[in-house]
Order: sequence, then structure tokens, then C-alpha cells
Amino acid sequence: MSRMQLEPAYVLHSRSFRETSLIVEAFTREHGRVAVVARGAKSPRSRWKNVLQPFRPLVISWSQKSDLGTLAAADQVASPPVLQGQALYCGLYMNELLMRLLHRGDPHAEVFERYRQALSELAAEAPPQPLLRVFEKHLLDATGYAMLLDREYGSGAEIQPRSWYEYQPDRGPVLSVGPGEGRVSGAALLALHAENMQAEYLPELRRLMRAVIGYHLGSKPLASLALFSG
Amino acid sequence: MSSEPLLNQLIESLRCLPGVGPKSAQRMALHLLERNREGGLQLASVLVEAMGKIGRCKQCRDLTEMETCAVCVSPRRDQTLLCVVESPVDVLAIEQATAYNGRYFVLLGRLSPLDGIGPAELGLDQLAERLEQDAPEEMIIATNPTVEGEATSFYLQRMAQKHNIRVTRIAHGVPLGGELEYTDQSTLAHAFGSRRLVD
Repeated sequence: MSRMQLEPAYVLHSRSFRETSLIVEAFTREHGRVAVVARGAKSPRSRWKNVLQPFRPLVISWSQKSDLGTLAAADQVASPPVLQGQALYCGLYMNELLMRLLHRGDPHAEVFERYRQALSELAAEAPPQPLLRVFEKHLLDATGYAMLLDREYGSGAEIQPRSWYEYQPDRGPVLSVGPGEGRVSGAALLALHAENMQAEYLPELRRLMRAVIGYHLGSKPLASLALFSG
Repeated sequence: MSSEPLLNQLIESLRCLPGVGPKSAQRMALHLLERNREGGLQLASVLVEAMGKIGRCKQCRDLTEMETCAVCVSPRRDQTLLCVVESPVDVLAIEQATAYNGRYFVLLGRLSPLDGIGPAELGLDQLAERLEQDAPEEMIIATNPTVEGEATSFYLQRMAQKHNIRVTRIAHGVPLGGELEYTDQSTLAHAFGSRRLVD
């Protein structure tokens, strides 16, 4: 059995377990995504009740024998980012991405820092689209699905801002004749590569990322997207 | 474990109640059999009747044995107020604690994408229909102050704004009789953020 002490973490999701407990999916800095049982967390007098909420910067301690650990302590270490409205939906979307793309126990300290950064930007009411695209790009990088953005697939030729490309999710951009269904401009690809996106590229980059992420996630679509369409 | 199959079955069945483990189930079963057979028979017949007859109100989705619940049909309730809550328990809590005299809509859950609960599962199309046909003047959002409750609240806000209905959200803050020292950080921050003018 191993014990982890005072690890920085965020709660991604929790669900009921037995009558008074919760199973908490947490994203920790050093151990990646972990699932722990929080005993008694649902009872009215539990001190964990309002600590174990998503988006709060926590430090947690837990012990682990199997896939499912046992939470020993959870404390909030800073005031949480205040996410309201659209920003809250974006936060829930990031949580769902992390739940779906990260494997339990794979450490991703860099993704953790990016997540923390993205949350504080969302709380500061930064425009969500550019920061979500950059977060998605880095998350794909970290999970082994890195996107080819500055060169063509196959030929390796440099991406030209004025050309149009068909993006094959498992490979990369392939030169095509012009704009059309499922095509993306070279300028947009380069903007995402440089992480400096002007507003005009955002709609096509959003379509591109949805297609690429959808491809890697398989048949079950992301449920949080339904929130944005309401 | 007794060797009587029927007794065992009774004990096992009682364990479907919340908070009832093997020991208390056994105590309940023996109590009914030894001291209160009449109460047991009464319980059995009421259970059968209640399970069969109590359904959901077609207007507010609360529990009721009629087609429409008493709150929805009562002419004495204020038709211009609509309070949206997560569960039937919340309706009881509000009825017992406040002088609220309007009507309700029970979502039977909250938006939680990771649990696969979206707008459709919460009967929000039914609520939209109601806002269309029988619009209240004010919609009070009383979902829980959790992340999912807030997400639900925002979704409801946008729905009401589409229909030009005034929206209010119940206040969050320091509990009465509580002490600031022991109030958790976020609640205290929220209480400060939404402080109000005293006149």
C-alpha cells in the first residue's frame, strides 16, 4: 500500500458510493488522474462536503492499494476561481476532456499547470475559445495524439498560410484544392501552432478540434457540448 | 440468519430502506411480528397502494397521486411565481421553512455532463413549453449551490431570458447562527461578493 501526502489536486467529478460516501475522480499534479473513496462525504456534517467540489485548488492525501484509493484528507489551499455562466460550461468541458483522455495514474504535471492557468483565465473572463484550443492542443500532445500543424503530412512541406488543407485526424494536414467541407486554412493551422489566434480563425479551428478530439474519443460524444447549444 | 425462509426474506426486503443494515432490519422484522402485527399489515397495504398510485405531477413533476399535484391546482397559490428546484425533497424543505406561495417545477436532477444528464433528461423541454404557454412573471432558481447546480442555474437563466421572464436566484451566504470563523472560504467569499445595502 502506498500513501500520498498533500498533493496538489482538483476534483474532476464525483459520484455517489454506498449511502454516505463519494467516489471522487481527482486530477493530481504528480500522479495524474486518481479515483479515491471519500468516506462519509455525503453526510450532512461532513467537513469535506463543500471542499470536494470541482475547480477548487486542493491538497489531498490518500492511500492506495488497488485502482481505487481512500481519501485521508482534503483541504482547500486558495480561493477558487469564480466561474460563471459560459466560463463554467468551459470548465465542465475541460473536466470532461481530462476524464476521457487521461488514463488513471499517468502523471501529467504540465497539463495540470495548463489546467490551473486556464481556470484562472476563465475566471478573469478571458475569451474562452483561444484558451480552450491551446488547452486541447497541449492535452492531445501530452496524451500521445500530438497534432501536426506546421508541416504537411507525407511530403513534410511547410504549411502555406494561403493554401487550404484537409486535416486527417490520425495523420495531419494534406494539401487540397480550396475551401470546403472539413477543410482548414493554412493560416489557421499556423495560428494554432504559434498559439496566437485571431478571431477570424476561431470558427474553423473549433470545427477542426472537435473533429480531431471526436476521432480519438471514438463513438461516445462529449456530453458537455450539449450545454453550449442550449 | 434464521432458518425460516419467509422471515429471512422480510429481513432482506427491509434492507432496501436507507440507513437500514442487517441488524436493524432484523429488529424491525421481529418488532412487527411479535409486537405490532396490525401496524405491519397496515404498512404493507399502504406500501402497496402508494407504490401503485403515486406518480409524477404532469405540470411540475413533483410526487402526487393525482394527475396534477395539489400545489399546481390550488387557486390560492400565486400563479405569477415559479420556483425551480432539483428534487421533491427541496419542495418539502421550502414549504416547511418559508412562506413561499407560488408554484414549483422539479427537475429531478441537475445538469451533469459527466453523468450523462443533459437538458433533455431534466424535462427542460417541458419547462420551456410551460414558459411559452403559461409564463410566470418571476422564475426563482433554487438549485443547489454546487458546480452542477450553478451550471443548471445558468441554463435556466438563459431559457427564461428568451421568454422575457424576470429571473432571481436564491441567496448564498453565512448561515444564521453561524460564525464567520467557521464558515468555509468560498461561502464567505460569496457572501462578501453579494453583500447588500442596509437601509
